[in-house]
Amino acid sequence: MEIDETALNGLIEQSRDTHADALRAAQEPLADMVDLGRQTRAGSGPDPDEGRAFASENRRRLAAVAKRAGGLLAGTGLIAAIADYIGGPAFAASGTDVQVLQTASSIEVLAVSTYKTALGLPYIGGSSANPVIKTFATTTMSQHADHLAAFQSATKSLGGTEQTKPDPAFVPVVDKAVTAITKASPSAGALLVVALALELENIAAETYVNNMSLLSDANAKKVTASIMGVEAQHVAILLAVQALLKGGAGADITLPPPVAKLPAAAGSVGFPNAFYPTTNAAPASQGAM
Amino acid sequence: MSANEPVSHLSEAELRAMTADLDAIHHDLTLPALKDSLAEWTEDIHAQGDAGRGGDAGQRLLFDRRRFLTRAAGTAGGVAGIALLAACSNSSSSSSSAASSASASASASASASAATGSAASTGGGEGQALSGDLQVVAMAASLENSGIATYAAGIKAATAGKLGTVPPAVVTFAETAMAQHKDHMQAWNAVLTAAGKKPVTAVDPVVQPTINTAFAKVTNVTGLAELALMVENIAGETYQNGLTVIKSAAGIKTAASIQPVEFQHAAILSFVLGKYPVPNAFTGVSLARPPSDYKV
Repeated sequence: MEIDETALNGLIEQSRDTHADALRAAQEPLADMVDLGRQTRAGSGPDPDEGRAFASENRRRLAAVAKRAGGLLAGTGLIAAIADYIGGPAFAASGTDVQVLQTASSIEVLAVSTYKTALGLPYIGGSSANPVIKTFATTTMSQHADHLAAFQSATKSLGGTEQTKPDPAFVPVVDKAVTAITKASPSAGALLVVALALELENIAAETYVNNMSLLSDANAKKVTASIMGVEAQHVAILLAVQALLKGGAGADITLPPPVAKLPAAAGSVGFPNAFYPTTNAAPASQGAM
Repeated sequence: MSANEPVSHLSEAELRAMTADLDAIHHDLTLPALKDSLAEWTEDIHAQGDAGRGGDAGQRLLFDRRRFLTRAAGTAGGVAGIALLAACSNSSSSSSSAASSASASASASASASAATGSAASTGGGEGQALSGDLQVVAMAASLENSGIATYAAGIKAATAGKLGTVPPAVVTFAETAMAQHKDHMQAWNAVLTAAGKKPVTAVDPVVQPTINTAFAKVTNVTGLAELALMVENIAGETYQNGLTVIKSAAGIKTAASIQPVEFQHAAILSFVLGKYPVPNAFTGVSLARPPSDYKV
């Protein structure tokens, strides 16, 4: 493996410094959110029209999730339970933004736990791991933890309860994938890990893209907007890594990669869409409490 | 363009197959959703205008939706014919093959400007006294024109052998990213033309001089990638900022669908340059261009 560990560590350190600056920058919108949350709570209750529109949007997305998950989720009765919840009084009584933020938190909880599990595998986080993949998994887990903290803080600022549990609709999917990963060989397992990470990252990115037009609070939008591009970047890198692994070119996963060796199509594999889709977005209230 | 032969085990056919499913999803699901958003946004803009002027809003919306869809059919030629359906069909092609896009830059003047380092072009849809969401749209279109111009100039320089040996993957990156920026520009301009305004074909007058100065110093692929990274980060941060400025929900959907793509371009560029590709847990707006970049 051709990689300059010293240079890589330096870059990571530099990244952490920049990241710390970004975290500080995120404090302002969160503080503004506190003020707006107080104003909202001081005023009237949730807008009934807004609630109906939100519920309609979520039913549509729920149907998409059910279709995507096939019989697995349908068999658990989870879809019906969530649909009942959306149509119930608890949904109408709680704020749209809080539910959106709670769902976002639940996705981040699942992402953090999934990367943590992956890093427990010797070929992802152990001595036999590709150092770039190990660094990526470690850094990405940390970034998702930051996202979780930001969404939880935003939820509390609006008077909601912070979500600490994973998105219930995706837990069975992750559990099933992890079971398959633990039984697979290192080479097959690495591909399964990347595929699972890709699915979660895409769900996160698409959900946040979709949430942008559902959120009403300006600062909730700011926080979400500052995160969705990061998830999309995770997707881009995972798509590139997946392509190299599938092509038997795992040794080329270096920083920087040996660009001159790569086929032409490798140049665009990381960003297949000119417009980011939302077809895999989670229903906005799916992870709400 | 000169290029080394790829020696990786990874084949073109394998990579094409990997992206085929994604292309199908993009074409079947994403683009129709985008069309709906843009049509809805056009209606929102007119509704905002009618609310200020009075008049029969219902009739105007009906007319303008028809006009939007008619223009979107892309029957006119040249820049005036920029239309949503054309943008959407280009989107799908850009995902799989952008080989011909180097010569398909939407703004010849912009390309020439960046290639020669001359002053940014003016005219091209500027000075239309736009405000609100339409001013944001116009600024976004001009920023996309700057992005297109940057890549077009880079491809032109590479083709002329001015950047040394250019790996084939870099060629594909530049052509695909440029094609996607063209798709974005066409989407923004479709909103303008549906609102009865001229499309913006001019580059961003504030950013372009900086790009031109930087481009004049580019002598190799690394330098070009650094410049492209700057442009992509400006674009991504501009749309992130725009998400808090745009009033229409449909407009927010459109900007939200573009912002992550610009940051994906940035991630791949960072990776190629040997920089950590996802350096921050939160993207910022310090590089964002304001709507006032568009001269009213």
